[in-house]
Amino acid sequence: MRSTLIRQLAIALIGVVFVASGCNLGGDDDDDGGEAGGETQTQTQPGQTGGDLLQTVTSRGRLICGVNDAVPGFGFVTEGGDFEGFDIDYCRAVAAGILGDPEAVDFRPLTAEQRFTALQAGEVDVLIRNTTWTSSRDGSEGARFLTTTFYDGQGMMVQADSEFQELEDLDGATICVLSGTTTELNLAAQFEARNLDFEPLSFEDNDPLQQAFQQGRCEAWSSDLSQLAGIRSNWPDGEGGPEALRILDVTMSKEPLGPVVADGQEDFADAVNWIVIATIQAEEFGITSENIDEQLNSEDPEVQRFLGQPVEGEPFDPGLNLDAEFAANVVRAVGNYGEIFERNVGPDTGLGLERGLNALWTEGGLHYPPPYR
Amino acid sequence: MSRPAPWRDVRVLRIAFQAAFLVAVVAFVLWIVDNTVGNLERRGIRTSFDFLDQPAGFRIPGSDFRTSQSIGDAILVGVETTMKVSAIGIVLAFLLGVFVGVARLSPNWLVRRAAALYVESLRNVPVLAIIFFWYLAVILRLPTVEVAGLFVFSNRAFAVPDLTLEDGIELFGIAALVGLVAAAVVWRWRTRRFDATGEPHHRVLWGAGLLAAVLTVGFFAAGRPIGLDTPERLRFGFAGGLRMSPEFAGLLIALVLYTASHIAEVVRGSILAVQKGQGEAADALGLSPFQRLRFVVLPQAFRIMIPPLANHFLNLVKNSSLGVAIALPEVTRVVRIAISQRAPAPQSIVMLMGIYLVFSLSIALVTNLVNRRLQLKGRT
Repeated sequence: MRSTLIRQLAIALIGVVFVASGCNLGGDDDDDGGEAGGETQTQTQPGQTGGDLLQTVTSRGRLICGVNDAVPGFGFVTEGGDFEGFDIDYCRAVAAGILGDPEAVDFRPLTAEQRFTALQAGEVDVLIRNTTWTSSRDGSEGARFLTTTFYDGQGMMVQADSEFQELEDLDGATICVLSGTTTELNLAAQFEARNLDFEPLSFEDNDPLQQAFQQGRCEAWSSDLSQLAGIRSNWPDGEGGPEALRILDVTMSKEPLGPVVADGQEDFADAVNWIVIATIQAEEFGITSENIDEQLNSEDPEVQRFLGQPVEGEPFDPGLNLDAEFAANVVRAVGNYGEIFERNVGPDTGLGLERGLNALWTEGGLHYPPPYR
Repeated sequence: MSRPAPWRDVRVLRIAFQAAFLVAVVAFVLWIVDNTVGNLERRGIRTSFDFLDQPAGFRIPGSDFRTSQSIGDAILVGVETTMKVSAIGIVLAFLLGVFVGVARLSPNWLVRRAAALYVESLRNVPVLAIIFFWYLAVILRLPTVEVAGLFVFSNRAFAVPDLTLEDGIELFGIAALVGLVAAAVVWRWRTRRFDATGEPHHRVLWGAGLLAAVLTVGFFAAGRPIGLDTPERLRFGFAGGLRMSPEFAGLLIALVLYTASHIAEVVRGSILAVQKGQGEAADALGLSPFQRLRFVVLPQAFRIMIPPLANHFLNLVKNSSLGVAIALPEVTRVVRIAISQRAPAPQSIVMLMGIYLVFSLSIALVTNLVNRRLQLKGRT
């Protein structure tokens, strides 16, 4: 009888411990909530006082850039262990613009899930990692999207020896897609708008998808054009290499990609923004990394002002808290927009992308830099 | 005899402790739910199930699901696929498992060893690896058949001819019913005659022959009401016939082979668990090895194997969620697509778990009922 009583007591004790720990957990959680709230407050504070992150980066002497390490042409690690790509060059451009040294960058590879958390937590200063600018991300991720560096869109890839030219040719076909945030939706919307039938085969992983596409399980592979170009450039030689694949001339969605910074870092955001704009402006002015030194002595007052050369005695200071010669530093380090594009993803690279939407506004593209004055 | 004070009375204390524990558990669960819901709301994450009524916006291969239908409908389409693959898989895995399990005990050395090789090689490999093997290394490597025959095995579809019912099928149905009744009557007549005179009964021959005759006459009298729907090649893929997508076939084959290897072991163990004297008694009665198995050993083995079998059936249903790896739109895949289209993850996953729970509990219920029926009555 006594032992049963003890057992009952023990059970009751466990119950009490449960409740107590429950209360404790509750307390902890509330505290966490409070701390998290506090953190966001301290995070927004620099924005109010102004320029804190810009000063932090300057005094640290290094820029921490959140990047992708697995997209050929945009952000990937070479066999030698170096980061290379279009987005990587923009990290270097920002470092050159703020710190005067394109090598003063630490690259942080981030997954799609990590990226916004890392940005909010201040683990990275800026995120340059093929991130599509959408309203909900701008609104609810605490992120601020800056000038678009690459206008991407969802495209369609087929075997080169197939007869498909446009979406209409794929009526009733099976389309392989990598399950993503918007890929399936765009596909369905585009096909139904054209009153076409199709079967989506949506994989969670690239490897089975590639197998299925290789073996003819599906007629086409749909993803972002930049991704498709990367996959095509790395297509195994045993399967015919890049020549075995063809990317159709269709764009099924808008995917503007560009740098992202945390909300509330106004000075830093302005600095990154104008560094991006400077690369585009340089191309419009015809300033390249080759002719930058000649351009410093240009007769054109606009170019003089842009490169921070004294016009009527004083170099022009737009009040961006950047070095007057930041644009010259950027162009000297990574070149103008056209050079960055050609070097990483242009027609002479494995990706072989045409400028298309990414041409300057003067050539029918979308890059339209605001005036520098 | 005076009762002790309540705080010293064991009976009172026992109830009090139980009550206190119950209150603690209920409070804990309530707190967890409240805390979760509260935190989700504070972070602006929806906690209702409204999303089920929103348009899905995506398509599901192998179904006529439209993008304007709701997410709830999409999940139902996924449930249907899971049920199909599970139901077919359970039947096939059971048949194959019994066959291999009996073969494991065969006196024939080659049969015994081959069955052992099958069991040991499949039972000890992760089922995901088997699924990948069948899908990536076998089915995707099949040719893309360009001209459809009666049977199609290609990496675009598996297809066999299907039966179609046409006008006059009611008449044929009545004929079939009459045939069945007639066959039953003849069966009983032959059995009685055998009991009375000992003349060989041949009741199977009589019954089946009569039924076949009636069906043949009925088929032509009703104007051939059953047609054959053969697969045909479209511009992309196939139409017609009974079709199975390569993903469905891959998952089904892998699940059947894997589960059958486990079931074979259950069957072997159950047969060995039947008292040895039963087999010896069958031998003493002069039954053939097949009769011994069919009428003496297996009926008793089935009684033993039902609870562990149920376990493997449940595992097959749960393993069917691995279809996500090969793009089969079963319920897990559909829920995951819905989540990537901004359906709230907590509710969706809770629903998914609930769906599998219903599957599992239903199978458990059925097998429990069967088990209760098959148990020896009057045993304690």
